[in-house]
Amino acid sequence: MDLSQYLDIFIDESNEHIQSLSDNIMILEKEPENKDVINEIFRAAHSLKGMAGTMGFKKMQHLTHDMENVFSEIRNDTIKVNSTLIDILFDCLDAIEAYVDTIKQTSNEGDEDNAALIKRLNDYLAGANGDKPADAAPAADASAAASAPADQANGDKDAYKQIRLEENDIEKLQKAADSGLNLYGFTIHVQKECLLKAARVFLVYKAVEDFGEILIYSPSSQDVEDEKFEYSVSFIMGAAGDLDPIKQAAAAVSEIESVDADKVTPDMFKIEAAPAQAAAPAKAAAAPAAPAAPAKSAAKAPAKSGGNGGGKKKTINKPVTARTIRVDIEKLDALMNQVSELIIAKNSLVSLSAQANENAAKYSESGGNRQTFQEQIEYLERITTTLHESVMKVRMVPIENTVNKFPRMIRDLSRRLKKPMELVMTGEDTELDRTVVDQIGDPLQHLLRNSADHGIEDPETRKAAGKPETGSIFLNAYQEGNNVIIQVGDDGAGIDTEAVKQKAIERGLVSEEDAENLTKKEIIDFLFLPSFSMSKKVTDISGRGVGLDVVKNNIEALGGDVEVKSELGQGSTFTIRLPLTLAIIQALMVEVSGEKYAIALASIMNIENIPVSEIKYVQAKEVIYLRGLVIPLIHLDELLDCPPKEEKPDNIIVVIVKKGDNYAGLVVDSLIGQQEIVIKSMGKVMDTDKMISGATILGDGEVALILDSNAMF
Amino acid sequence: MDKEKKNEVKRKDTNAVEEEKKQYIICRIGDEQYGLDISYVDNIVRMQKITRVPKVQYYYIGIINLRGEVVPVMSVRRKMGLGEDEITNKSRIVILKMEDVGYVGILVDEVREVIALGESEINRNTKSKKQDNMFINGIGIHGDDLVSIFDISTIIDNPKA
Repeated sequence: MDLSQYLDIFIDESNEHIQSLSDNIMILEKEPENKDVINEIFRAAHSLKGMAGTMGFKKMQHLTHDMENVFSEIRNDTIKVNSTLIDILFDCLDAIEAYVDTIKQTSNEGDEDNAALIKRLNDYLAGANGDKPADAAPAADASAAASAPADQANGDKDAYKQIRLEENDIEKLQKAADSGLNLYGFTIHVQKECLLKAARVFLVYKAVEDFGEILIYSPSSQDVEDEKFEYSVSFIMGAAGDLDPIKQAAAAVSEIESVDADKVTPDMFKIEAAPAQAAAPAKAAAAPAAPAAPAKSAAKAPAKSGGNGGGKKKTINKPVTARTIRVDIEKLDALMNQVSELIIAKNSLVSLSAQANENAAKYSESGGNRQTFQEQIEYLERITTTLHESVMKVRMVPIENTVNKFPRMIRDLSRRLKKPMELVMTGEDTELDRTVVDQIGDPLQHLLRNSADHGIEDPETRKAAGKPETGSIFLNAYQEGNNVIIQVGDDGAGIDTEAVKQKAIERGLVSEEDAENLTKKEIIDFLFLPSFSMSKKVTDISGRGVGLDVVKNNIEALGGDVEVKSELGQGSTFTIRLPLTLAIIQALMVEVSGEKYAIALASIMNIENIPVSEIKYVQAKEVIYLRGLVIPLIHLDELLDCPPKEEKPDNIIVVIVKKGDNYAGLVVDSLIGQQEIVIKSMGKVMDTDKMISGATILGDGEVALILDSNAMF
Repeated sequence: MDKEKKNEVKRKDTNAVEEEKKQYIICRIGDEQYGLDISYVDNIVRMQKITRVPKVQYYYIGIINLRGEVVPVMSVRRKMGLGEDEITNKSRIVILKMEDVGYVGILVDEVREVIALGESEINRNTKSKKQDNMFINGIGIHGDDLVSIFDISTIIDNPKA
């Protein structure tokens, strides 16, 4: 059977479950008694197992099955959670992830059967149960059953005999028997690869109903319709004829593995009912210990054990998730492009209407039509803006998916480096454009590893310095204007600027005399040079000198920048600033020497009209003094190599822009107005300056450059 | 349609012993005629407003709006050291489509015609030390006229390479 069309869904969902397992196991380590977490883990493991089974990935199924056994023991309080167990579980998760990766690449789960890992799992189980021999046996049975999935079927064989009947059901059977019908019990085993299990079962029902009437359904036909069963269903029917033709008809339905059937009498269920109930408590004890076979049949025949069935049902019901669909990013990009085109067309309508207005005023035309036209244009403008926002929102995803693997990483590093540390994250729900989120993972990982390896000191040093023994690493994300800020840092040793300076001199990057005059920031910037490593020894965690320069390049490629603040002995903080969107921004259009330029509105503080006489000089540089701030002036015409102006105006228009705590005043000739602009790439052949971040097409078809004021500081 | 074309080509191949010919767009820059391999040419547009881009290579005049895309325009004159362009109403921008760097426009004084040249009609021994010859990889003979064949890969620089 071709399952390839389900492969993508399988991979996506597996990754979700793996992440959920990872998160919850982390919590479990801290709160071993938290029942909700254990249940959640159990659910995720169970879903993984089921999915792997459906897709025919037997090895993966085997591994997840054994993990599920362990979780079941934990849930049942028969074994306690400790860090050895957590390590084993994380290794298992890695192995499952490896399976999923292999599947992703080859559509096949590969040859690795992880026998050693499974043995460790089972040894742990056996070890933990050593002092409770009664439980050890069923546990062993369970793994035996799992290693030979074919055997599982045997466990369910003749399950129809186990159907527990209510008084009136038995009466119904009795009535049928009294009226001379033969009663037959059936258990139908559907093939494990079967995708439309419910449909197959209904075909069986239909086939057998040609011979008689089905009296008892187990599970109920409603549950069957909802696929609330695993691989087998049972029913009891009354028929006038012999059993064999009915059995053959049932077995003839495709994708049915086997059919067990025999004659039954109402009395069988009367007698069965009592021992079944008596056995229930015993089963309840055994079932959690060996969830494989008994738990399954419990799910298949919920009538069998009331209390137990209720618990199991929870594992089958999927947790309520947000209603989402998966959309190919290319489709979104196409949509985005079309919205961009629409905005350009709208802008040209707006500018046409403005011109028409002027003309109308000139020739004093009657205003009636003109006004409605104007209103419609404004309406269109509002709609396109909202449409754009909605499309942008569709492209936005929380950084959560990228950062939620970090707590696990820090935990592993903490154990490997033998330094206690913990990661505190805030703002995981901060949203960024999908493309940015996809690419921000690696840089963040680099920074966190740096913090763990270089930043956090060993516990003795920390104690001596009067800090808590457990180092703390943080990742904070938040939105600021049109930017998203992600701060990564630690309360560790900080950057030793003297040592960096020495290293830079050693490497011949700066002369000894020049080094004396370097500011702290300039020294820290050395760390961003390729293959500049401060680590004395190379570890597999960091220190090979590939890192910070890659971080910087990656982030700049996304249109962002990185800043570092560090206090020796107090820790370091890396601040990453990323643009919220990549395609459309609100901008202020200005004119400089007859040329039009766009400045991102998000970086603008305010606009001032200042008499030339108020320009002051500090260190021979022009500044203005405004509300307690000294703001350096940047003459855009000079910066942009425009031909010099002949006459100087009495007043200058200054656009005050902000980057972090710094301000600058951009001197322009005139303001055109605020506009929504679509950022277009300028191609690859031109070697453009950093302060030109792109181009945009204006309403009249003219091209204007977009200035990045961040690059002017 | 495609099949017909193919057949036509086939017929040509079998009937005539002619070598395969490439088509070139003949442009004038100053007094000289240049040939551009037509397979690189996407479009030819009239002169339009070119937005100057500060602080780029001196031979880029700026950028234009080509059907909603921003396309850089370069001056071959400036690149070959032949001085400044004179814009007349015959001036055209030839839009080239490059595989690795996308669209690039080049400014020419006039676009004349499309000709077909076989390899035997192109003199490839044009290596000279003169700087402006770096961008030429052959001289085509077209009747009485000489056509310098542009080496497009050296005219359009690929900053990544």
